[in-house]
Amino acid sequence: MLKKFNQLSFVIGAFFAITAVILFANELLSGMAEKINLYSAAAFLAFGVFMIYLSSKEES
Amino acid sequence: MDLKMADYCIIILYFLFVIGVGFVIKRKIKSSNDFLASSRTIPLWITSLAFISANLGAQEVIGMVASGAKYGIVTVHFYWVGAIFAMIFLGVYMMPFYYGSRARSVPEYLKLRFDEKTRGLNAISFAVMTVFSSGISLYALAKMLEIILKWNFDISIWIAACIVMVYIFMGGLTSAVYNEVLQFFLIVLGFSPLVIVALQDAGGWAAVKANLAPNMTHAWKYMGDKDANPLGLHFMSLIFGLGFVMSFGYWCTDFLVIQRAMIAKNMREARLTPIVAAVPKMLMPLIVVLPGIVAIALMQPALANGYKIPVDESGQLNYTMTLPSLIAHYYPSGLLGVGITALMASFMSGMAGNVTAFNAVFTFDIYQPYFVKNKSDRHYLIVGKCVTVVGILISVMTAYIAKGFNNINDFLQLVFGFVNGPLFATFLLGMFWKRTTAHGAFWGLLAGTVGAALTHGLTMAEGKGGWIAPLYEIKSGMGQAFIVALVSWIVNFFTTILVSLVTKPKSDEELKGLVYSLTEKQVDHGGPWYKRVTPVALLLLLITIILNIIFF
Repeated sequence: MLKKFNQLSFVIGAFFAITAVILFANELLSGMAEKINLYSAAAFLAFGVFMIYLSSKEES
Repeated sequence: MDLKMADYCIIILYFLFVIGVGFVIKRKIKSSNDFLASSRTIPLWITSLAFISANLGAQEVIGMVASGAKYGIVTVHFYWVGAIFAMIFLGVYMMPFYYGSRARSVPEYLKLRFDEKTRGLNAISFAVMTVFSSGISLYALAKMLEIILKWNFDISIWIAACIVMVYIFMGGLTSAVYNEVLQFFLIVLGFSPLVIVALQDAGGWAAVKANLAPNMTHAWKYMGDKDANPLGLHFMSLIFGLGFVMSFGYWCTDFLVIQRAMIAKNMREARLTPIVAAVPKMLMPLIVVLPGIVAIALMQPALANGYKIPVDESGQLNYTMTLPSLIAHYYPSGLLGVGITALMASFMSGMAGNVTAFNAVFTFDIYQPYFVKNKSDRHYLIVGKCVTVVGILISVMTAYIAKGFNNINDFLQLVFGFVNGPLFATFLLGMFWKRTTAHGAFWGLLAGTVGAALTHGLTMAEGKGGWIAPLYEIKSGMGQAFIVALVSWIVNFFTTILVSLVTKPKSDEELKGLVYSLTEKQVDHGGPWYKRVTPVALLLLLITIILNIIFF
């Protein structure tokens, strides 16, 4: 797992995926249901997953 | 602005990641070359994004949003006139000399092409400029956090300085470059929702256009008359001042950005670095100019929704606060943390870029040639690490000086302009006219700097300049900067030619690989078109021209 952090695309992907999770959790726990937070979290998650996918392609 | 738990979590996550990158890279640092020059191992997508991100400091992000609000769409000239052409020129014509000469820095290229005194002059002025710029970034970050979040100024300075120091100290240039790429995505993705929601609130681009004066939404239409456009400039001054002298002077000679291209894996990727970087640069006005224009539109009676750009003590609009005020207005808790983190990232990115350029130039171009020659590589690695710490401490000191003297930033920007303005003439002549001599380059640079200072002293704009005699009034400070740069370039250009004609040039043998006419031309065949320098450069030139026509 630690080796993965040598790949910048994985680091970026992980950062945005975790940020998305924080935004989703914030919406769930606060009950604010701010659309801008939800849409942004979805976009960050999609971008994060895409970067992680790229890093796995790079590795193989 | 009040931050909640989610916002703090995102800020802390960012800090953990940037320091984590330093830890991971640390294991790869074995030599001074790894630490200060990344041993030329970085892939193209990273060098390109780092190239653009090194320029994406706070002055760029906050400053361009402010200019968008103040001057309108003409601010895009800083991209579509003042960047793309120079970046393409750098990739096509100049990178072969920087990369091919095996120089580790821009001042080292000057040593190879000219002599030690020209390298010394450039290295010392560059080192001073970068370390002070880093301090100004630090000051601006702490000031911004003090104003918008009521955070303690001292604590903000020391935390930000320590974080940047830790990740550069551990991973050197590679760590800074990796973090710059992360910062790039954070800035782009962090501010994109703001642009979308603010534009939607204003009713779209058509509504913005309908509610602003026409000269705020046309990039070229009003540039024929200097009194008709917000910049107060005729298009000829814009093209030569910004589009030629300032733009080429910055993008083609500033080691801060060129360093990112010099660490590419091979010559083709080094040449492609600024060209690929031109793609996000071309689109950057969407993130940093458009929000400013939308902000000023939202203050028009027909679109008023409660948003206002804050005013300063004198009651004037404080344009610098445009971006933070938009974030405060539109971002709820959660995304607010992303926005604040993106702001911090832009400050830290600017600071880290300056510190890594400073430690490379200080170690390779000042310490090694002038103080301690012929030591082991380990010695220079340790020096490079120590210089990182010293550079950060000087930055902190500069930040405190800036706090005490309000005008220090203006003063430093002015001095930087005097030094940077004429530099491109030296490189242009040095690379493309083999008759240019070392004495010509040195005296040309000095004369250009004096010419810049005299022009500033004899012109006046927005209450600035005219310290010798205010002989000529210019409408905007930006216009004054263009004219100062233009004069300094012309003075340098002709002084270099005149002195070169009466002094002895280097032999052709010594200039191989350093001058266009004596260097083997780069063959750019093979591989798909999108991996070749010339087709990509031509395509980008075409798109840039089309963008200028669309927003004419």
